[in-house]
Amino acid sequence: MHADAILELRNLKAGYATNAGFVRAVDDVSLTLHRGEFLGIAGESGCGKSTLAYSIMRLLRDNARIESGSIIFDGTDITSLDEKAMNEYRWTRMAMVFQSAMNALNPVLSVEEQLVDAVLAHKQVTRADAKKTAMEMLELVDINPERIASYPHQLSGGMRQRVMIAMALLLKPDLLIMDEPTTALDVVVQRSILQKIEELRRIFGFSVIFITHDLSLLVEISDSLAIMYAGKICEYGPSREVYASPDHPYTKGLMNAFPTLTGPISRMGGIEGQAPSLLSPPPGCRFAPRCSVAIDACTKEVPLLQVTSPGRLCACRLCGGNHE
Amino acid sequence: MIRDFFKTLVKNRKSLSGLVLLGFFVLVALFAPLLAPYPPKTDRIEHTTLIEENKSDPEVLNEEAEGQNREKSVYTVTITQKYEKTTEYFPTRAKPSKDHILGTNHAGNDLFSQIIMGTRVSLFVGLATGLFVTFISLSLALLSGYLGGILDDVISFVTNVFLVIPGLPLMIVIGTYVPMHGVLPIILILSLTSWPYPTRLLRSQVLTLKNRDFVRASKMIGERTSFLIFREILPNMISIVMSEFFTVSLSAILGEATLEFIGVGNITVVSWGTILYWAQANGAILMGAWWWFLPPGLLIALTGTAFVLINFGIDEISNPRLRKR
Amino acid sequence: MNNVILELKHVSKHFALSGLRNIGKVVHAMDDVSFFLNKGESLALVGESGSGKTTTASVIAGMYEKTSGEIYLDGQPVLPFKTREASLRYKKKVQMIFQDPFASLNPTHTIRSILERPFLIHKLAGSTRELEAMLCDSLEMVGLSPAKEYLHRFPHELSGGQRQRVNIARTFAVSPEIILADEPTSMLDVSIRIGIMNMMLDLKEKKHVSFLYITHDLAGARYMSTRIAVMYAGMIMEIGPTEEVIANAVHPYVQLLKASAPAPQEGVRKAAIPAKGEIPSLVHPPSGCRFHTRCPYAKKICSEEVPAMRDIGNGHLVRCVLV
Repeated sequence: MHADAILELRNLKAGYATNAGFVRAVDDVSLTLHRGEFLGIAGESGCGKSTLAYSIMRLLRDNARIESGSIIFDGTDITSLDEKAMNEYRWTRMAMVFQSAMNALNPVLSVEEQLVDAVLAHKQVTRADAKKTAMEMLELVDINPERIASYPHQLSGGMRQRVMIAMALLLKPDLLIMDEPTTALDVVVQRSILQKIEELRRIFGFSVIFITHDLSLLVEISDSLAIMYAGKICEYGPSREVYASPDHPYTKGLMNAFPTLTGPISRMGGIEGQAPSLLSPPPGCRFAPRCSVAIDACTKEVPLLQVTSPGRLCACRLCGGNHE
Repeated sequence: MIRDFFKTLVKNRKSLSGLVLLGFFVLVALFAPLLAPYPPKTDRIEHTTLIEENKSDPEVLNEEAEGQNREKSVYTVTITQKYEKTTEYFPTRAKPSKDHILGTNHAGNDLFSQIIMGTRVSLFVGLATGLFVTFISLSLALLSGYLGGILDDVISFVTNVFLVIPGLPLMIVIGTYVPMHGVLPIILILSLTSWPYPTRLLRSQVLTLKNRDFVRASKMIGERTSFLIFREILPNMISIVMSEFFTVSLSAILGEATLEFIGVGNITVVSWGTILYWAQANGAILMGAWWWFLPPGLLIALTGTAFVLINFGIDEISNPRLRKR
Repeated sequence: MNNVILELKHVSKHFALSGLRNIGKVVHAMDDVSFFLNKGESLALVGESGSGKTTTASVIAGMYEKTSGEIYLDGQPVLPFKTREASLRYKKKVQMIFQDPFASLNPTHTIRSILERPFLIHKLAGSTRELEAMLCDSLEMVGLSPAKEYLHRFPHELSGGQRQRVNIARTFAVSPEIILADEPTSMLDVSIRIGIMNMMLDLKEKKHVSFLYITHDLAGARYMSTRIAVMYAGMIMEIGPTEEVIANAVHPYVQLLKASAPAPQEGVRKAAIPAKGEIPSLVHPPSGCRFHTRCPYAKKICSEEVPAMRDIGNGHLVRCVLV
C-alpha cells in the first residue's frame, strides 16, 4: 500500500436486496486515496456511487451489505469491524456530509444540541467544551456562532448545509465523504460552499471524496476524478487530464453532454440509451449497448481497469494497454 | 390498472387470507336458510297428522226451480277432521347436544341456526354501512377537496364538528329515541357516526393529488373539471378508498354488535350482537355457558380479522416499503 | 412588421399568505415583469429559486391569475379566461412542458390514454383511424419508435427520458405556437439531457414554435436560446441576446451567476466570488433594487428606488443604476 494513502478500496463488492433479487451496486471497485487528495466520483443515477460512499463509512442499511473485498483506512482493514469498533472511526477519523441537510438534521433538535451531541458521542469532554468547539466550527463555516441555538427550519438551505459540514469537521477527521452535498442548492450558494470546503481543506488538510453527477463541477474542484458506470469504475486520473483527453467512451460521451458557457455553441451528442439495470447487467462491458465504438468482443468479456499512462486508468478494450 | 390492483391483492398472502375468510362468511350468509338446521326464532318442532275425516250427508235447506230447465238448491255438508299434533319443545338453555350443536338460548331457539342466520344481518349491516359511508365520504371529499372555496369551508367545518362528537354516546342517544324497525335505522345510525373520519382522510388525499403535476398537465391540455376529478384523481385513490371501505365495514360490524349488546339496537332481529345481548341478559357468562356467548363473539372477531387482513394487503401494495423480502 | 407573438407588460403576481397572523402579507413572486417573445424564437428565463421564473411561466400558462399588468398574445390581451371556449382557444396556442417526468404522467393511465386526450379535447381527429395515425406520428416524432410498442405501456414502465418524451409529444399534439418549458431536463440523468434538448431544438425548427425556456442553468440557457432574461427575487434584472448577456454581463447579479457557474474549460480554479448573503425573502423584499443587499457596488440610491430597465442598445436592457 502506498505510504501516504489514507484510504484504499480493494475489489469491493456491495449491494442491496430487493424483491427481485440482489442488486450489486458496487461491483469490484478498487481505488486509492492519498492524504490531502480531493477525489471526485462522477456518475449518473443508479451507478452505485452512493452505495460506495455508505459502504466506506459502513453505514449501509439493513437490506444492504458488503459482499466481498476490503476497505483499508490508514493501514487498518475496517471492512469487518463491529459497530463498537467502527464508532471509533466514524466522525473522529472519517465523516460524511449527506445530500439533503433537511433529511440529515433532526428537525426537533437545535443546532447546538446536534453539534454538541456529535462531539460528546465520540470524545470525553465537558458540555461546555463541546459547545465551544461547535461555536468555533460554526464561525469557520461563516455562520454567526450566536445562531447555534437555532432550529434547522430557521436556517436557509445553504446555511443548513454549512451546519452539516461543520458537524462533519467537528472532530477534525482525516477523510470527508460528501454525497451530492450541493445538488439541491442554487448555483451561487453552491459556489460559496465549495469555496468554503477548499478553504477548510487548506486549514485542516483532510482528504475529500466528493460524489456527484455534475461532472463539470468536479473538474474544477477535484484533484483526481473517477468515473463510475453501472457499479464499476471505468476511468480514473487527474481531473484536468481526464477532462482534456478522456480515454473511456463513456467519459467522452459525458464530456460531450455538458453545454458550455464560453466557446463556440455547437450541437452536442450526449449518449443514446439509458443506464442498465444492476439486477441483471449486460454481459461483458456494461457500457457496450450504448457505446458507439463497441465491437463484438466487448459483449463477451468484462474489461479490467488498466494503466494507460502514469496515473491514468481506463477499463476499456479499446483504450490502450494490454488486456487479459 | 385496476385489474392489476385486484390481481396483486389476490397474490398478497395477507389480503388473500382475508378475502378467503370474508368469502366464507359471505357464502354462509347467502346460503343461510339452507345451512341452518332450524328457523332461528323457532322453539319447537310440530308434527300434525290427520287421523280421521268424517263427511256427513248433505242437508238441503232450500230448493227452487228457476224457469223450465234450471234448478237451484242450497245444502250444507259438515266435515269433521281429527288431527293429532305432537309438539316437541326445544329445551331452553340447553348445553350442546346432537340435536342442537351449540345448545339453545333462553327461549329454546337453536343457537347454531341463530348464528348462521345472524351472519346475514351482521354482514349486511357491516357491508351496507361501509358502502354507504364510502360513497358519501368520497363524494364529499372530491367536491370539497377539488372545488375548494366556500363549499370546502362549509363541508370541512361540518365534518370537523361531527368528528369531535363522541361516536358511541351519539349512537346510544339516537338509538334510544329512534323507533327500530328492521336494520335500516341501525345502518343509518352507524353511518352517521362513521362518515366524518373517512371524509377527512379522503379529502386530504384529494388535495395532495390535485397538486400533482399530472393533474396540472391535464388541466393545461384543456381537460374539464369533471374529467379531472373522475379520470385523473379518482383512479389514483382506489387503494385508499378500498382501505377505508373495509375499515368502516369493520367498525360497523363492531358497532352493530355494540348497539345490540347494550340493548339500544333492534333486539328482535337475530344477529350476532343480539345473541350476545340475550346471552348477557340471561347470565350466560355467569353460568359458564360458553357455547352461547363464545361463538358470536368469536365470529365477530374473525370477521373483523378478515377485514384487517385485507387492509394489510392493501397497505403493502400501496406502500412497497412495507413488503417483506 | 410586428414579429412579436407574446408580450408581458408590467405583470405582477402576489400570493396572499393564509392564516390569521399573515393577514395582509403577500409573497411578491413576480413584480413588474415585462418582456416580449418573437415568433420562432427561443427566450430563456434564468434564475435561482425564488426568482419568479416558474411563477411567470405559470401565469402565462393561465394556471395562476395575474395580480396586475397585461399579457398580449398576437397583439390581443388575454387572461384570465372568461369562458371555457376562451380557455380552450388559448390552450391550443400555448402549452407547457413540466419539470418532473415522473409526476407529469398519471400512473393509472396508459400512454395511449394520456396522449389521446389533447386530440380528443380539441377535436383534432376526424375518425378513430385518423386519431390512431396521429398518436403514432406523435410518438415517432419524439423518437419513441415503433409507436405501437409504447402506446399500451404504463408510465412506470418507461425511463425518465422516455417519459419526458411522452410529455413533449403531448404538448406538441395541439400544434401550439408557444411552448413554456419549465426546467424540462433538470430531473433527468446528465447523459440524457442533451438528447432531449436537441430534440426540442429540432422540433422548434420543424414546427415553427416559439419557446420560453425556464432554467437555472446558465450554460443550458446558452445552448437552447438566442435571447435570455435573468430574474432575481421576482424581477427581471437583465434581458438581451444570449451571447451578449453572458459574455458581457452587466448586472452585478448576472456577473455573480456567471462567476458561480461551473466552467471547467477555464482551466484555473475559480477565484472567490464577490457577493455575500442569500436570496431574500419575497414577503419582505429589500427596498429599492432587490439585489442591493448583496451587491458589491451598491450605492445609497440603490436602497431607495427600484431602478428602471435601461436600454443599452441591441435589445439589451439592464435594471441597474450603474449602466
